[in-house]
Amino acid sequence: MRRPRPARVRPDLHPRRALALGAVLVLAAGPVALAPARSAADSAAPAAAAPPAGDRGTQLYLEHCASCHGERGQGAQRGPSLIGVGPASVDFQVSTGRMPVSREVQQAPRRDPVFSAADISALVDHVSSFGGGGPKVPQVAPGNPGSGREIFAANCAPCHGATGAGAALTDGWVAPPLYDSTAVQVAEAVRVGPGLMPVFPNQVLDDRQLDDLAAYVQRLRDERLDRGGNPLGRLGPLAEGLVAWLAALGLLVAAARWLGRRAAE
Amino acid sequence: MSARRPSATERTASRRIVAAFGVSAAGAVGFAVTYGLGGNTAREGICLAVAFAGLAVGLAVWARRLVPVDRYVEEHEGFTSPPTEQAMTAAVLTAPDSPVRRRGLLAALGLALTALGAAALFPLRSLLPFDRARPVRALKDTPWGAGVRLVDADGRPLRPDDVPADTVVAVFPEGNVDVGDAPAFAVRLEPQRFSRPPAGGHLDGLVVWSLLCTHAGCPVRSYLKGTGQLLCPCHQSSFDLLAGARPVAGPAARALPGLPIEVGPDGFLRATGDFTAPPGAGFWDSP
Amino acid sequence: MITDRLARALDDRLRLSPLTRRALAKIFPDHWSFMLGELALYSFVALLLTGVYLTFFFDASNGDRVYRGDYAPLDGATTSAAYASTVRLSWDVRAGLLIRQTHHWAALVFVAAIVLHLARIFFTGAFRKPRELNWLIGVTMLTLALANGFTGYSLPDDLLSGVGLRILTSVVESIPLVGAWLAALALGGEFPSDAMIPRMFVAHVLLVPAVLVALISLHLGILVRQKHSQFPGPGRTEHNVVGSRLWPSYALRSLALFAWVLAVLFALGGLVQINPVWLYGPFEPAEATSPAQPDWYVAWGDGALRLFPPWEFRIAGHLVPGPLFPGVVLGGVTFLALYAWPFAERLRAKDRSAHHLLDRPRDHPVRLGVGVGALTFYAVLTVAAGDDIIARLVRVPVYDLLSLFRVLVLVLPLLAGLLAFLVARALRRGDAAGIGELTRADLRRAAHRSIRPPGADSGESETPARDRSGERIEMWPEGDLWRWRYRDADRHLVITGSRAVLSEEEAASAARVAYPGVDRVVVPGPPPAPPPGPVRAALRGWGRAAAAGSLLLAALLNRRRDRRRQERERAEPAAPPETADKASTGGGRT
Repeated sequence: MRRPRPARVRPDLHPRRALALGAVLVLAAGPVALAPARSAADSAAPAAAAPPAGDRGTQLYLEHCASCHGERGQGAQRGPSLIGVGPASVDFQVSTGRMPVSREVQQAPRRDPVFSAADISALVDHVSSFGGGGPKVPQVAPGNPGSGREIFAANCAPCHGATGAGAALTDGWVAPPLYDSTAVQVAEAVRVGPGLMPVFPNQVLDDRQLDDLAAYVQRLRDERLDRGGNPLGRLGPLAEGLVAWLAALGLLVAAARWLGRRAAE
Repeated sequence: MSARRPSATERTASRRIVAAFGVSAAGAVGFAVTYGLGGNTAREGICLAVAFAGLAVGLAVWARRLVPVDRYVEEHEGFTSPPTEQAMTAAVLTAPDSPVRRRGLLAALGLALTALGAAALFPLRSLLPFDRARPVRALKDTPWGAGVRLVDADGRPLRPDDVPADTVVAVFPEGNVDVGDAPAFAVRLEPQRFSRPPAGGHLDGLVVWSLLCTHAGCPVRSYLKGTGQLLCPCHQSSFDLLAGARPVAGPAARALPGLPIEVGPDGFLRATGDFTAPPGAGFWDSP
Repeated sequence: MITDRLARALDDRLRLSPLTRRALAKIFPDHWSFMLGELALYSFVALLLTGVYLTFFFDASNGDRVYRGDYAPLDGATTSAAYASTVRLSWDVRAGLLIRQTHHWAALVFVAAIVLHLARIFFTGAFRKPRELNWLIGVTMLTLALANGFTGYSLPDDLLSGVGLRILTSVVESIPLVGAWLAALALGGEFPSDAMIPRMFVAHVLLVPAVLVALISLHLGILVRQKHSQFPGPGRTEHNVVGSRLWPSYALRSLALFAWVLAVLFALGGLVQINPVWLYGPFEPAEATSPAQPDWYVAWGDGALRLFPPWEFRIAGHLVPGPLFPGVVLGGVTFLALYAWPFAERLRAKDRSAHHLLDRPRDHPVRLGVGVGALTFYAVLTVAAGDDIIARLVRVPVYDLLSLFRVLVLVLPLLAGLLAFLVARALRRGDAAGIGELTRADLRRAAHRSIRPPGADSGESETPARDRSGERIEMWPEGDLWRWRYRDADRHLVITGSRAVLSEEEAASAARVAYPGVDRVVVPGPPPAPPPGPVRAALRGWGRAAAAGSLLLAALLNRRRDRRRQERERAEPAAPPETADKASTGGGRT
């Protein structure tokens, strides 16, 4: 299995040789600064002709969300209440394409978002109007990946893996790989705790630490971190063992089979 | 061999072998150049692989095309010597003046060597320095104790408010953040959901347990919010925090030891004693 | 000329000629499976060469050290010296990562080759008298290889290996009475101790390799002394070895294999990332990563730890922890069984004779069944060590997989062993030459109890009948020397004695040992030269080498293309949406 790659072009993540710390900070900041612009560019056409945000949000909500979450977000049998989940949660679920789901699943997988950035923010505003507060969409500033690495190892690696490749949890739940997540989505997930993930509010990780963490996760997906060649999905020693048996032993035994015979045979 | 003219096949083979060795040399040069230009793991590896593969191909073709391919046979003498040989050897070993006949002396020698061997074992005890705690005591005791404050990984003391619901915070005894058996974690649960009270007690739902799995000692860090369960990433043991951190699935057999806590006069959390059981994997003298 | 003079100079001082002549004429049987041990040997040489290079840069200490270098997320971080120096070795030492990765790949291949070699020896009965000693040495080397693999894996002091070391410590502590003491003595205190890395380092680079080198020398010395075993065939008896000579044929082939081993290892070392410790981060007692597995050769132990049910009990108030059984008992039983097998089989078969002719695996159905069952058992355990990875890849709850593996680990080995046993019996009793030719009737017959009288087995692998008229030994003078050969006119078989000897008597006695009871005649001149080997065989060989090479090349090119494309994609300044779509579909196509 190959490491899942970001499906989209990221002009903002330009790897250079010999990254100085300053460059790191700039790079880490890149996705944040450019994220709204990029999302808007993804679907520029529909967004341009969109009606005013308030109406648009209501319309989208009724069309795509209300059947499960109820018309005023009060929740129903098929979907939980959205009152008080907060803008960060809505933005996370919709911008990672997890919502809206086409059918009921235990854990919706990450997909390309269904809505444009403008639509998503309209939807977020509409759901926020149900009341209840909840965490706001975090503003992520450039962070220090060095300190972010320590926070990641202490809090995220047990589930998502030190390499960020993700891992299985119990009952079919999965801690997903983090390679497609934008800095804002990482920060949202930390503050919101989607699914089984614990919540890390301000008392546990302050905004400064959150910036550092997001900066490190952005670096984790960087191809240059796989300095040694094909990362084998960053799945660890068993994948390496499989390669050792199939590729290396295969080539070696094939050679032995050829060399081991008498030339005339 | 040199007298007769090489056949056409031999000439072809020779050409191929030279070509293969040429490729090998090119690979070696490529490696040197790559290295000289600043190095690149993939290119260096390819160059070296080409260099050795060229050698391998050249040698293999040489072995298979330019070397006689007859079958050869080598005789295989039996390994049992003739009886006279055996008897003679035995006679030399057990001649009248042979040391093996001095049974008494041999016994004394054996005794001395045994004593020496046994004495040689003693310095091995130094592998565990004498000023360290005895192993069983070391496994049972941790730096936790009455009055030891709970700090986070950066060494900051924690107040009860620092552990909100739905999160997990790694906690350490103040001044001993790096000690192997000390790590613990704090979570806030709803006391009315407890099906079994936590071994170390709780402060309004705030509970502290040892972080080390009772199966093989891995840090049990995967907190599955909402289910109240904790998963060990090493061997997938699950612990139900609502039921006294008892193992519910996987290979672990004992509950996580709890840490009794209180709020000190300074408002910070502190332990009122050591873990309720030795943390981590079991051992013979585990209470 | 130079060779000649050098040889003369050496001989003047050491009198090496007789020894050398004998050694160069040593016979190696022409069968690929005799080269599996060489694969292990050459991987070991690669390990030594790369390992020595690594020691120049590795700082074997648990003490603090600040990493300063190219890997930005760790730049300025204080970690153990072992970890910091490993990251430095990987990111800042030129060619360091290539050598480190090649070393690690060589370790994986080393143990894999040992296992293959062991399986070949086991299934062909090559461990029988007189080769029991070499079997014991081989099994010992396997344990040492595992030990050295584990210490090497743990030396970088990264998070993944640190967790693995903690698990091993827990397994040792689970031993009744002495466990805590053993672990504390080994580590110099409680885990994680300051003495851990230095001690493992000494074991890894000095103690174990020194013992391995000594045992390998002994292994090879005994091999030369006892000569090779061989598969039965025309002209092959219990008293000879038929094959190719060490010089020049086998020396060239063997060197070719050595070079090929290095080629494969360096290709992997350069192209496939292994153990990226910079991503795992340094070991901290409170941190963990997932998925967490050890290297493949100890994964069976990890799998057993996962599968073993949560059973613990107390004896007179003392705890017998769960990891004792999958960790200590299983490992102990495994290696005890390996050590004991040759003697157990000898006791059971009451067979005290020496064997230089090998069994085909089918010749001994019980052995085959037991071996296949055991291999299946360890294979299931190894796969079970990845249950969390599998659960994620196939999206199945991990505890469902756990239950499945708990059943499979007991059932599958029995089924596989039984099947192997039946197939072997069917092959032995029927006329089928291979598994593909077996009919259902053959299998049905095999399922019934023995239909042959006991004792028929021994007659099968006996030497060819003595009184066949076509056989004879021909001896002829060649200058001052004598040579001899075995000729079987009926089978058009000619086998030449491996070396020239000084007298007719010597030739006759060698031939008498190799082919007892065959008539000898003296022929006048050297027999006609053998026909040159068919060209087509050589061409076919070339074709195969080319195919393997082109496969490798194709993989490389593919990778390059991928990388190029990505670089291109990144280099492109803020692309308009259409281009972005195009690029992403291009990515999806590959």
